[in-house]
Order: sequence, then C-alpha cells, then structure tokens
Amino acid sequence: MAQVSVTGYTDKPSVVEGETVSFYVTADNATEAQVDIVRLIHGDENPEGPGFIEEVVSSDFSGVKQVKKQFVDLGNAIRVPDSSGKLALTDSLTIATYVYATTPEKGRQVLLGKFSLHETAGYALGIDHAGRLAFWIADGSDTDEIVSQVPMAHHTWYFVAASFDAKSGKAVLHQEAIVNPYNGRLGRVAPFDHLSSVEQSLKLKIKSATTDFMWAAAGNSATVRGAFKDLLFNGKIDRSYVWNRALSLAEIKSQCGQSPIADGLVAGWDTTIGYGENGIDDIVVDVSANQLNGIGVQRPIRAMTGYNWSGKHDDWRVAPQEYGGISFHEDSVVDCQWDVTFSWTIPEGLKSAAYAARIRIGEAEDHIPFFVRAAKPKARILYLFPTSSYLAYANEMIVHHVPVAQAIGSHPAVLTKTEADYFQDPKYGRSTYDHYTDGEGVCYTSWLRPILNMRPKWRSSAIGTTWQFPRDLSATAWLEHQGYDFEVATDHDLMRDGLDLLKNYSVILTGSHPEYWNEFGLNVMEEYISTGGRLMYMGGNGFYWVISYRDGEPEIMEVRKGEAGMRAWQAEPGEYYHATSAERGGIWRNRGRAPQKLTGVGFTTQGFDACHPYFRMPDSYHKSVSWIFDGVEGEKFGDHGLALGGAAGLETERYDLLLGTPPHTKLLGSSTNWSDNYPGVHEDIMFHHPGLLGTQNPAVRADMTYFTAGNNGAVFSTGSIAWTSSLPSFGYENDVSRITKNILDAFSKPGELPGGAWTEDEKSWR
Amino acid sequence: MSNSSVGRRRLIPRWRVKSSSLSRRFRVPGTKRSLLRFEGRYNPKTLQRELILRDKKPLFWLIGLFALAFIPIAIGQQLVFSIFGSICFFAAVNVFWTLIIGTAGLQSFASLATVGVGAYAATYLSITYGISWPVMLVIGTAFGGLMGLIISIPARRLDGLYYALLTIGISEFCRNYITQSDALGGQFNGALFGADRIVPEEAMQTTTGQTIAYLTSFVVLLISLAIFRVVSGGRIGILLRTAQSSKEDESFASAIGIDFQRARLLVFLIASAALGFVGAFYATNQGGASLSLFSLDQMLLLLAMIVIGGLGKAEGAVVGTVIVVFLNQWFTSWGPWRIVLVGILMLASVLYTRNGLFGLRQQLIEIRERRKALSRATRTTRYGAFLPEQGPEIPDKGVIAEREFERAIRDQLRDWITPEIIEEHRLSPMGQHSDHLERILNYFRKQPISNKYVVYCEESYKAYRVVALSGIPGVPPRSVDDKTYSNLDEAYHAVFLRRINDLKSQH
Repeated sequence: MAQVSVTGYTDKPSVVEGETVSFYVTADNATEAQVDIVRLIHGDENPEGPGFIEEVVSSDFSGVKQVKKQFVDLGNAIRVPDSSGKLALTDSLTIATYVYATTPEKGRQVLLGKFSLHETAGYALGIDHAGRLAFWIADGSDTDEIVSQVPMAHHTWYFVAASFDAKSGKAVLHQEAIVNPYNGRLGRVAPFDHLSSVEQSLKLKIKSATTDFMWAAAGNSATVRGAFKDLLFNGKIDRSYVWNRALSLAEIKSQCGQSPIADGLVAGWDTTIGYGENGIDDIVVDVSANQLNGIGVQRPIRAMTGYNWSGKHDDWRVAPQEYGGISFHEDSVVDCQWDVTFSWTIPEGLKSAAYAARIRIGEAEDHIPFFVRAAKPKARILYLFPTSSYLAYANEMIVHHVPVAQAIGSHPAVLTKTEADYFQDPKYGRSTYDHYTDGEGVCYTSWLRPILNMRPKWRSSAIGTTWQFPRDLSATAWLEHQGYDFEVATDHDLMRDGLDLLKNYSVILTGSHPEYWNEFGLNVMEEYISTGGRLMYMGGNGFYWVISYRDGEPEIMEVRKGEAGMRAWQAEPGEYYHATSAERGGIWRNRGRAPQKLTGVGFTTQGFDACHPYFRMPDSYHKSVSWIFDGVEGEKFGDHGLALGGAAGLETERYDLLLGTPPHTKLLGSSTNWSDNYPGVHEDIMFHHPGLLGTQNPAVRADMTYFTAGNNGAVFSTGSIAWTSSLPSFGYENDVSRITKNILDAFSKPGELPGGAWTEDEKSWR
Repeated sequence: MSNSSVGRRRLIPRWRVKSSSLSRRFRVPGTKRSLLRFEGRYNPKTLQRELILRDKKPLFWLIGLFALAFIPIAIGQQLVFSIFGSICFFAAVNVFWTLIIGTAGLQSFASLATVGVGAYAATYLSITYGISWPVMLVIGTAFGGLMGLIISIPARRLDGLYYALLTIGISEFCRNYITQSDALGGQFNGALFGADRIVPEEAMQTTTGQTIAYLTSFVVLLISLAIFRVVSGGRIGILLRTAQSSKEDESFASAIGIDFQRARLLVFLIASAALGFVGAFYATNQGGASLSLFSLDQMLLLLAMIVIGGLGKAEGAVVGTVIVVFLNQWFTSWGPWRIVLVGILMLASVLYTRNGLFGLRQQLIEIRERRKALSRATRTTRYGAFLPEQGPEIPDKGVIAEREFERAIRDQLRDWITPEIIEEHRLSPMGQHSDHLERILNYFRKQPISNKYVVYCEESYKAYRVVALSGIPGVPPRSVDDKTYSNLDEAYHAVFLRRINDLKSQH
C-alpha cells in the first residue's frame, strides 16, 4: 500500500481574534483528512515529564477536509515578464553573460534563455551534461546545440556568449575566464587555459517557447504536477545581455567587461542597479529601452561578489559595481506557493497560546502550529516565542551531511522516521544550519513551507533532546500549571509592534534558545528593560546572530554567518553584508553588541552529553536577591530535568565584565566542572591551545545572573537552554520551578522589586 | 612491500590546441554529427589543454572500407574480385541479419531465404517480362518486404528457439518449392539464369567490367551500412535498446511508453525489404539465382561469421564475414579442413569470448581490472594503505594524507580496546570518560557520514534500533540488524560495540 503522509504550513506565525489563518496542506495518497484545532500544552514525550498534552478546541471547524498532493517548485531563477514578446526571438540572436558555476558537472543547466523542455522549443545558453558551455535551440520537435571545447572550471568567473545567425545557420560560442587574485577559488598560478571560441552550423530553426525568459532555469510541465522549473543552475550570474542580431566574434570579444553595444540590444540587465539604504530587492533592472526587468524566484541571493570583485572592498555599500553577482541554487525554496487547503477565523475570546491544526489521515498525523496573541492584552506576563530562531533551524539536517555532527552531539545521532524520510527528498528546503547542494551555506529561511522540526513532539537527531519550539512548550505548560495569567506573542509580533507590544506587560519570558535577533528587536528589548520592563531570559545562547527581514516580507529571514561564532558555515569573503538590511552579518558580539550588555550573560559553551546542576554563588545570599531562593534548600539546585537530567547545559552562558555585563550584576548560581564534550566557544579563542575543553577551561560553565535596571526594570538570566526542560520535573514542583516562580511573582507585580532596600556597603565583622 | 615507480610517458604528441583562434567545427551534412569526435580536456597531471579523439571507430571504418574497396582493384585478379564480391554480398546480408537478431531481438534464420526470394522473384520477372535491372532491384525490395511481412506474423506469438525453428522451416519450404517448380528452374536443380545484369556478361571478361561489378557490390555494402546506422542508431534503435536494457524487456518497455512489438516488427520489415534488395542485386550481379541461397550450410556459414565477429554490431558482421569468406574461398586447396577451421574459430569464439571479436576489447579491459585488483590486494599489507599506482587515481590528495593519519591512529586505538574500556562505556555511554575511551569515541564520532551508525527511534522511549546512514540524499539508512533496544543508553552501547568491531577488523 502506498505510504500516506501529510504536512503543511500557515500563512503567518501569529494571529489575533477575528483574523483568519490559512493552512496550506499536502497529502500523499489521500484525499480526505480529519482536521481539528488543538491547543498545544506540552510537547516533550520524556516519561519523566507530563508527556505530550494537547487539547482539542471545540469549534465548528473540526471535521473531514479535502486534501490533495501539492508540489514544490524548488530552485532559484529570475523570471522576465515580457508581454510584448521582445524576447520571443526566433531569428538571429546573441546572448552574453558572466557566470560562476559551482557545480558545472551536475548535468544540464540553463544560464539564460527562453527554453521549454515539454515543448522542445526555444533557445538557451547553458552548461551541458559534460560541464561545457552550450547553446541550445529547439524547433518544436528536435534540439540542436553548439558546445565549447573544454569543460568549465567550478568557482571561476567566465564571460560567456553565444550568437546565432538564422540565415546562415552559423552559431558562435565564446568563453573566456576572468581570474584575478580574489574573485574565484583558484588564482592565476593554476595554468588553466579557459579560452575557447567555436563556430558551427546548426540545422534547426528556433521555435519560440511559451514559457518565460528565465535566468538559471528552463520551463517544463508534467500532467499531474503542472508547470515547473527544470535544468536548474547552481552558481552566480552577473550582468547579462540579449541582442536580436548575431554579433560577430570580434564584437562579442569586445563586450567583455564593457557596457553593451546598443545596436540590436533587446535587454541589458545591470545586476548592480537597485542597491539602496536597506539592501536590494528581487528586481533585476534592464537598462535597455525595453525595460524588461526580471524578478527573482524563490529569492536568489543578491549582494554577492561579481566577476569584477577587486578584493579591495568587502562591502557592497562601498562598491556596488563590484557586487553584480546573483547566486542561484537548485534546492532553494522560500515559498511553496500552495493552494489554501482550509482556513480558520480565530473566534472571539480564544485564549492566547500556541495552537496547531492537527491533521490525521489514518496513522499519519501532523500538527501545523501557529500562535494566537491577545487582541487586548490583559495579563501582566508575556511569553515570547522566538519564531526567528525557529526559522533558523527550520528543517535542519546537519546529521546527514556534517561528518562531525556526532562529535558535536557527543553521542550517536537519534533519527526518527520523519527525518530519515525527509533527507531522501528535502523538498521543503533547508535550514541556516545546512548547505545548498553546491556546498554554499543557506542564508534564507522561511515560514512559508512545512517546517518538520517545529512540531510539538520533535526531538533533534543531533542533540537527542527536544529543541526550540517543543522545549518552549515546557515553559508555557509550567505557566499554565502554576495558574499564571499569561499571554503569548512571537518575534514576528515584536518586530511589527515593537514597544507597543512589550509595554503592555510587566514581565517578558523568553524562549529557551532565542538566538536570532534583528537590530530592531534588540533595540525594543533594550528600551523595554531600561524603561522599567522586566526580562526573564529563560534560555541560553540568545541574542547571538544578526538577522534581517525585508520590509513587508516578515516570512523570509536572512542570516550571513561571519568569521566568528559557533557556526555551521561561513559566508564567502566579501559577502558578509546582508542583502535585506545593509548590515554586516555575523554575531552581535562582533558588532559591538555582546549579549552580556542586554542580559548580563553571553554564549560560552555547548555540549550534548549531559546537563548538570547549578550551585549557589555567594551573591545569592545577599538580601537584595536571596528572596529568589526562598523555598530552595541547600546549595545545589537543578539536578533534574527532561533534557539530559540537569538544568545547566546544552548551550550555556557566562557573566563577563569585559563583554559588557552590567557591573552591579549578581552572580546567583553557576554550574561548572563539565566534560570535554563542552568546548569553549570559537569567538573566545585567539590562540588555539590545548586545554580549551570543559575539564580544563574555566569559561566552560553556566552562570545565572540578576541585575536591576532603571525605573524598576530588571533582568534575570538562567544562562542555560536546559533550564526550561527542568520546569516540569516532579509534577512541576521542584527547585527550578520554585526559583522561576519567585522571580516571576516578583517581576509580575508592578512597582518596586523585592530587596531594593539592601543597597548599603557591607560592614562585615566576621 | 616493494613499490616500483609508476608513470607513463606519452610518445605520440597530442593535438596542439591554439585556444586564441576560432575553432570551426564541421558536421556531416544533414546530420548533427561531426566526422570525428574530438573532445577537449585539461590534462589532470599538467592542466594543459589537449584534444582527445573520443571515438576512434569512424577512423577504423574509414581505413577498413578504403582497404575493402581498393585491395581487389589494386590486385586486379578475377579470383580476388570474386572473393571480395562475396565478402561485400555476405557482409550486406549479415549487417541486416544483425539488425534483425541484435536490434529487433528476433531469432530469425530466414534471412538468407529472404535474399533468395528477392533474387528469384527479380530473376523470374526479368526473364519472363524482360524487365531491366533497376526495376529488378525495386521488385526484389518489394518481395523481401512481403516475405518479411509473412514471417513476422508468427513472431507476434512465438519467441526464441521455436521461432528460430519455424524460420528454418520456412527456408526449407522455399528450397523445396523451387526444386518442385519448373518455372523457377526446378529441372536444373534450381538454377535460374538469364536475368538482366548491371554489367553485361561479356563485359565481365574484362578487368574494367570486373572492377565496375565489384564496385557495385561495394556500394551495396555501403548502402546496407547506412541503413543499419539510420535504423540502429536512430530513434527506433534507441527505443529498442532502452527496452532491452531491462530484464523484463517488454513490460518495462510498455511501462515507459515504448511499443516494443511495433518497434521490433518495423525494424524486421525494414531489414527484410533490404534483404530482398540485396537478393535482387545478387541476381543483377550474377545474372540469376541459385538454390544455394536457401541451403542450410550457407545459412550456418553466415551464422559463423556473425558469431566470430560479434553479435549486434555492424563492424562484427563485416569483419566476421571477411574472415570466414577469406578462409573459405582463398584456401580452397585445404578442402574440408578449412570448414573445420571455421568451426574451430566459431567454437573458440563461443567458448572464450563473451561477444566475438568485437567484445574482446571490453573483455580484456575487465580482465585487466580484475588482475589489477588482485595484484593490489596481494601487495597491500595493511588496511586502507595506498599503493603508488593509486596516486593518479585519487584527485584529492588530502584523502591520502588523512588516510595515513587514520591508519596510525587506528593502530593506537586498537591497542586500547580492553574489556574494561567496553564495560566503562556500557555503564555510562555519555559524559566524561577515561582518556583512552574518550579518544576512541572522538575517532568514531568524526568518521565520514557514509556507513556511519546512528540510532533509529521506532518509538520514543520504547524502541530503538541501530542503522547506518548512506550519506547520499535519496538513499535511506540501512538496517544493520533486527535487534531493538528499550532505551537510548543500550542503543548507544550497541553502536559502540559495532564500531569497536569494525575498528578491530581494519588492520
């Protein structure tokens, strides 16, 4: 029997009553599904906790819905809308471009052309099965080609061109490499002779294809699936030109590095036009009279170095003319663009919480999560789900292509069927922890696709515990169990509403791993705390990576991992600056904004072999903060939890005055003496030397801190991802729970904080 | 272990590449083929550009056909003309037979009979109605096609040996029919002569006449090769080869949308019509037809040619014909021994070659590969060590250096495997271990993805198994056994034990 499976996504992460959330669902081998809206209460199935808990929301909505298989048209391209048919050339023509192929050997790829496989029609400049530059024409039933003499070298810029004279049938193909000391993988000492000019007659006439003129793809179509892109290209393409006449070889050669000959120019795309204050959009500008602007499909990566990158500037803002490169990937997807399967209007008075559409087809089941925020905030407590960080990890598959993943995880990976299946065909794209098929790091991630690991029961294969969203449900379950009146919101709400969102609340609780922040979000959080807000930083390795979203497109997030940090990849030289915000990517610490400045602690180590208890530090006995430990016995706390049996661990933080911890910060607790599977973080290392692992490195630890800010503001930081997973231990009644409760009780009351009177210098006689 | 140095010097200089000048690529008119398939590449040892002739076959064809055309003309003797004429005639027949057996996959033994039908029909009509030789050729083609149509009918149902027997039966029927028929020369034991000739009988006494007659035979061979090329190398040939590439030929073919039956019958009809044409040509060349065209011994001689040359290839059919015809007609003084020799050649070809003379190359390559692997296996004393001749085969030399490191570290780690270490891991698979165990674990954890063990969760906190990753997208993890473990620590330890086992075996 064919395997039944179902999954999907919503149009937005967060909704409010009266709004409608749309669900996009695909089902394999099924046409009907039982759908219910459920409130997600607890996720982690660890038997030491409450297990998976959901609550069906009684609504008229529940029932059997029609579902169908929906396809993903993977891959980047630039589509050139051309209603007047100027590019529907069937006569003589010339195409010229600059190309940097990363996988020339992978099989046929289109660089530029109006070519459709299902019609066997059109023309295209591309790369053939043997990695050679090729020019194809097709007449409706047959294809003919001219190919270059030698295969293209990968990661090398070429100026390439093809011209076709329809009268004589003669085609000319030309390639020459553009190698400077900076712009490619190899320098000039590698004695490649890339030059090749070929002339040959073609025996067909061009029949125009009905598909659009595209960069990096050809059109295709299949019966059930419909139209899709094919012959996808991996690599970069720079400025490109099309003429409606056959340029001579001499004319072609003269074009390299020059602005195009006007005679017969149909389109001349200048990829360096469009850079502005906030980056560059998806429109590729045609500077010819025809103005045939192209539009990026699935967000090709812009702000990339071009063929003429001199190496002098590492920033497109200084030398945009050297940043004409646009990067294309066959497996990129930022929007599945499916048909809406069903939608639901949030009823009035629905509790603010994490919800999901639970879809069941026989044994197959999926939860498609979304968050309902409060229309009119009434509670004093806000739990902020870190949706940006969820996006960063969306569909992460590090175990499958990073050999050292098991060394990072320090145990064999633990696969689930969903993950094993997904790696067979990663059709919903990758995470910012993965690489595209050509080895380049993934810098765009999106909400508009199924995110298989943002599911209530998911466990990370590399880490062997829950990760992100399912762990954060342990916090909201605890809040609910303790009877707190709280509301939820997401990073996306914070980025939209700013301080207007936060100022409604006395205290904000973060997720367990709020790692990815844009500048606006950090500014709002800083403003909130300094004007009297209270932050309970419930996690570890937060406020770490620089991210950005393009205005008006909050679903698609950009990350450029820089030269430091615990990073899955590193942007290529000169490509550290975001295309969506004109900021330097990387870790905030290297932009002058270490997390310590906001929360008192910052990332210091990670490890996944064990979690540990904290020990109270001397500061914790000071009366200004000792109330935090009311009801906690002994010096040790947190030696339990659903994450490897401890509250301190996974990814943890440390107090560091040199990195901006406010000087009056109290060190409440610390956990140390960990294994060598916890190495010190990369950004702390100047000289690498023996002794940087847990058993020998004092920076390998977790610090719990507390400090007060102006206007009764305050920040409590747990310094550890695992903290959240210790809340549900022993029926939610335990020391971690007690400490969290003491803080939350104090923080949620307006006015002065407890212990504020104990400010005098000590006079110790002992 | 003694390692001799490796390296091969190139003696014939490569085609010089002048990259700055325009390279004009010519094509055979009307086709998309260039005459010779030169391919550019970067020499992996120098990165110098070179041109390599990827396919030398056209060159050999050119030389072979040139020799075939001009040797008899240069010698100018009647016997030589006769032998080479036979070669051209039989080669043409064999080429079409190859089309039937190889491309269409039909075990028909009625090919020569089809030639005979074409020859007799053309001769009879020429004698009776006095038609000239060009019309004879058309008639032969038509009758060949008709004959093909008739013998193709049982092919819809019969296959293999039964079909072969049936076609032999048809040949025998034709032979009998002619011996019984007065109109077809039954009274002269089937010899029917007096048809129109391309080269008149009297001209055949002169060398010029013989030359022209020979050249016409040669042209017929060229035509047959051209037809073979178009049919076998064209769309229909590709379809049939695609269909035959699977074990379940026909069902596989229909599943991917190929009408296998239709395609093979079409090829059969084309080949039969062409055989009829060759028969008619025989009649215009010899001035008539004789019963030998239907004889079983002649058919078996043809079979020997195909078997010796190699089935399924035009070059096999031609070269096999050259060998057998030459043996048979040049060494006539040897008497029956030459037939024995043909038999021995055929036997040797069946016993020692996979597919005749032209399958030898692939066979030799495979023998060489096998010997290479064997020789390397005997000289490699340690697991994973590289030999000098493996250097050029590994593009990323980093792999070699890393392999050296791995070998050394494995030797060290192997010494540290003790029951105590294994027990230490069993008691606590996670967390800080003794230095030796920690180093063993780090070695395991950093291994490449391909064949790397991971735990597979069948049911959280209930059932875990050990599987190995493929490291290749699209290839699922492989089960290593059917044991299940109730908790993760047991599963981690099971992975550890497997890795220890593998490490021990990697000497």
